[in-house]
Amino acid sequence: MAKRLMCKTLGAACLGLSMVWSAPAAYALADLIETPARQTDLAPSNLLTDAVRAGDRIVAVGERGHIIYSDDGGKSWEQGSVPVSVTLTAVDFGTETHGWAVGHSGVVLHTEDGGENWSLQLTGIDASELAIASKEDQIAAMEERIEEAPESEKADLEWAMDDLIFAMENMQSDLDIGPVNPLLGVWFENDQHGFVVGAYGMILRTQDGGNSWSDWAPKIQNAQNFHLNSITRVTGGALVIVGEAGQIHVSVDNGTTWERRESPYEGSLFGVIGTGQVNEILAFGLRGNMLFSTDLGKSWRMVPNSAGATLNDGAVAEDGRITLVGNGGTVLMSGNGADSFREHFRSDRAGIMSVVPVAGTNLLVVGESGVKITDARGKNLQ
Amino acid sequence: MSNPNHDRGEHYLTTPKAEPFLERLIFNNRAVILIGFLILTAFLGYNAVKIQPDASFERMIPLEHPYVINMLDHRNDLENLGNFVRIAVETKTGDIFSPEYMETLKQITDEVFYLNGVDRSGLKTLWTSNVRWVEVTEQGFQGGNVIPDDYDGSPASLEQLRQNILRSNEVGRLVSDNFQSTIVYAPLYEKNPETGEPLDYATFSRELEEKIRNKYEAQNPNIKIHIVGFAKKVGDLIEGIGSIAWFAGITILLTTLLLFWYSRCITGTLVPVFTSIVAVFLQLGALRLLGYGLDPYSVLVPFLVFAIGISHGVQIVNAMAVEAAKGFDAITAARLAFRALYIPGMLALISDAFGFLTLFFIEIDVIRDLAIAAGLGVAFVIITNLVLHVLIMSYLGISKGGVRHVQNHGEKQDRKWRLMSYFAHPGVAPISLLIAVVGLGLGLYYKQDLKVGDLDQGAPELRADSRYNLDNAYIIDNYSTSADVLVVMVKTPAEQCTQYNVLRAMDSLQWELQNTPGVQSSASLADVSKIVTKALNEGNWKWYEISRNQTIINASIREAPSGLINTKCSLTPVLVFLEDHKAETLETVVERVEVFAEANSNDNHTFLLAAGNAGVEAATNEVIANAKDMMLILVYSVVSLLCFATFRSIRAVLCIVVPLGLTSILCEAIMAVSGIGIKVATLPVIALGVGIGVDYGIYIYSKLEKYLLEGKTLQDAYFETLRSTGKAVMFTGVTLGLGVVTWIFSPIKFQADMGFLLFFMFLWNMIGAIWLLPALARFLLRPDQMIATARAAK
Repeated sequence: MAKRLMCKTLGAACLGLSMVWSAPAAYALADLIETPARQTDLAPSNLLTDAVRAGDRIVAVGERGHIIYSDDGGKSWEQGSVPVSVTLTAVDFGTETHGWAVGHSGVVLHTEDGGENWSLQLTGIDASELAIASKEDQIAAMEERIEEAPESEKADLEWAMDDLIFAMENMQSDLDIGPVNPLLGVWFENDQHGFVVGAYGMILRTQDGGNSWSDWAPKIQNAQNFHLNSITRVTGGALVIVGEAGQIHVSVDNGTTWERRESPYEGSLFGVIGTGQVNEILAFGLRGNMLFSTDLGKSWRMVPNSAGATLNDGAVAEDGRITLVGNGGTVLMSGNGADSFREHFRSDRAGIMSVVPVAGTNLLVVGESGVKITDARGKNLQ
Repeated sequence: MSNPNHDRGEHYLTTPKAEPFLERLIFNNRAVILIGFLILTAFLGYNAVKIQPDASFERMIPLEHPYVINMLDHRNDLENLGNFVRIAVETKTGDIFSPEYMETLKQITDEVFYLNGVDRSGLKTLWTSNVRWVEVTEQGFQGGNVIPDDYDGSPASLEQLRQNILRSNEVGRLVSDNFQSTIVYAPLYEKNPETGEPLDYATFSRELEEKIRNKYEAQNPNIKIHIVGFAKKVGDLIEGIGSIAWFAGITILLTTLLLFWYSRCITGTLVPVFTSIVAVFLQLGALRLLGYGLDPYSVLVPFLVFAIGISHGVQIVNAMAVEAAKGFDAITAARLAFRALYIPGMLALISDAFGFLTLFFIEIDVIRDLAIAAGLGVAFVIITNLVLHVLIMSYLGISKGGVRHVQNHGEKQDRKWRLMSYFAHPGVAPISLLIAVVGLGLGLYYKQDLKVGDLDQGAPELRADSRYNLDNAYIIDNYSTSADVLVVMVKTPAEQCTQYNVLRAMDSLQWELQNTPGVQSSASLADVSKIVTKALNEGNWKWYEISRNQTIINASIREAPSGLINTKCSLTPVLVFLEDHKAETLETVVERVEVFAEANSNDNHTFLLAAGNAGVEAATNEVIANAKDMMLILVYSVVSLLCFATFRSIRAVLCIVVPLGLTSILCEAIMAVSGIGIKVATLPVIALGVGIGVDYGIYIYSKLEKYLLEGKTLQDAYFETLRSTGKAVMFTGVTLGLGVVTWIFSPIKFQADMGFLLFFMFLWNMIGAIWLLPALARFLLRPDQMIATARAAK
């Protein structure tokens, strides 16, 4: 307010003062999915949830709609222009320039210029409407089945019918509140085909670069609508989704059909990566539990480690070394193809959400306290 | 009864009848008046002794400012916010993971637990059961006390402790980043829940020193204790008031010595000191009867009253010695001194009083109290100095030594006065004016940097190197915390304070502020909700967001700290931690909040400024900044009007007031250069400096005018002026300076600032009157016209 400015002595000094002094613009708050992310220097030092490579560029996403990118291996960052302010949870690039980011309120964002400008392709409202429509289809189909089914099977089918109706009503009441549920994972094959996965079993597929989406939940065996946390493609071409309650889903036909794998672990799995070897899968989650398969999940081996902290993400460097990162500053490193891991803890103990191998054996980690460049053991590089 | 020499020249000042009347009234009833004084002094003196220190800090804040009104309106809702002490227990060698350290910490925990005023249920240390670690497991949460249940001081259990601390999220909060200290966090009751009595800050602070710091530092030499918190700060301030007694003693001693050196007369020394002390007692007694106590500001007023009493008393002693030297007896000398001085004396004292009363326009109670205390004091000085002092002297007279001193000394000094009279010389005066203009230019240049508010780190009331501020610096360096907190209150309909829209709006405000320069971090229910929502989702950071689902929000804030929600759930604060409390920082931040509040306050949520120490400071700064110019205009108008009413000449007013203006500007420049901001403590200095500083000019000008009207040339008239009153004026400046200079050593920073600035103003105003006034007179006064006007009036 101008009244607090005291122009005491010299008019000229005052003029100079009022020129550098500019009032912040008054604005009334809109919904977070209609509020563009604020451009801020603080983005690289606040919560970031995922980071990936887009060619030589590294792109990271985080809270308040922050998307930042670096062309010098993480030393300096620019902030992309993003139309929403929700917490973003995952990012993936189908090509060097075409990328998708997902987050809370079910948003799907798309860039065509390597992360500089983003547009909103989908919100949780669209996603819920798609899911409800496909539940209605399922219900209609179920009604037909019940009519045609022999008397002995009818009771079971009616149970299933009740589940479907209950799930649909749940979705409807969530939708009444708004776009309540977050998307948690994204994978794109190229600039056309990809999946997004999220809370309460959400999964959507696009084959036209995000212009239209199909509800893919009916193809996934997840009757209790547990969260789907992460999706990736492993060497050999198979797609893998992991989620709550030890869920592991595998598709060998590029996502058209999915098969649920038996899991030796009942807790949440937060991340999944390939190891660089054909058909090998490394899944991990709560309290450092780590599952390794060499046959696309038909059989599993628990990889022992005593880190104890939840593992969130991992990456394979060019030399084949595997790094996993997690809460409490956990950095696990394997030089022997996931046979065993060495444990390190970053001194600040802040949670790490994602890791990207950079120059030499160095790592770029992002998480609770933003971006850090570290050595192979997670120690800060000056 | 009168000497014809004295009948000329002064009578035009007033109606001819009034002077004999007042004089007759006083001198014809000497015994009665003295007995009256005796009774009055006994009565008020009795009350003066019983006056209590009053450290009501509410009086130091602008109660009429909207921020403060908002804060006081919601004081009960914010009760659990902010009144606590933090005791950092540091180990000088090694780290906290030693059995000795943990044992001392345990003892301190127990000791603090039993301190009167501590809210025991909220006490937090590594040893209390409310400090826990939590881990997410497949089955839900798993956790325990940070201190292992089987703790036995063994290396194994210390290692377990280290693990638990790392899992507990307390690093940076309860445990320092470098593991060399931990915090004992003790929330305090404002009122004792059993007796309802308010917390006694002085006692509490003393107990912290005796039972915690001294005891445990002695017991375990490897331990160092740092204590911060509002209660400790207040305690230290109250303790600081105590040192004032020393200053009083030193001031009285120095003044007495100086006075004797000046007058060489025992009665001429002791009587002014005595009557000035009487004035102080009268003032304190009257204050108590009016219901006031002594706060850290008004405790300084007795010094001023004493100094003013002495400085005017000197004029009387001086005048009496001059008259006595001419051969008059004690009572005649006293009458003549009274007649010569009661007009300029009263004028000077009344302008002092009016100068103080302009402080009344500042809406901060301590400043108003200061105005009342000083105004009262000056009123009493008028009667003690012009009546009591003169009457006592009329009995005792000036000693022979004193008279001789005036005669000898007067003649010896003539050469010096002759030299100084060149200040009125047509060749010297322009040079003086040029110097003054250069001084003015420099003053204006430097005062551009003058800032409002407190500029130093830490608790601004105390010195930067005070124990409290050193403790504070330690804790800020080693923990993620800031001492400067601005609280924005978010008001909602009852039971609505946790709605998504409320949390979302608070979160937006926080992000706006975190992107504002000067803001370190912020906290609110929105943060609690995000962090717990994340925790409830298996600790996955991807869930770090305010849920749109109210059921999830409600679950997330179930365990929120009580200070963040009031009982009706109609108020929830946003805490903004600032890097410092510089006025610019506060202004920028408050500005952003106001813009945000304007755009986003609606039926669901209203954003109100402001609580927290930074909120109060922002309000105070605003009041001070607005009041400053107003007060300057007022005090100068009052002083100018009084001078005009007395001397009936705008030229006279300019001669007297222009040197004051120069001093005021130089004073502001000095403040800017030495990093003293305009604040509650320094704003009154300007009014006091001008109000008291005008005295010199009045004494000098009234003499100068008298001699000019006798037909002397300006330089001769000024020479006579200096001869008769120059010494007294210079002495007055030194006495006033002495009266305040001891404050510079006060442990309370603002008292030191006040002392420094007043010292400067008193001395410079004296120099201005002696050096600049005659130069101005050379250009402004028209002696011929003055004589003509005086004749016409007769």
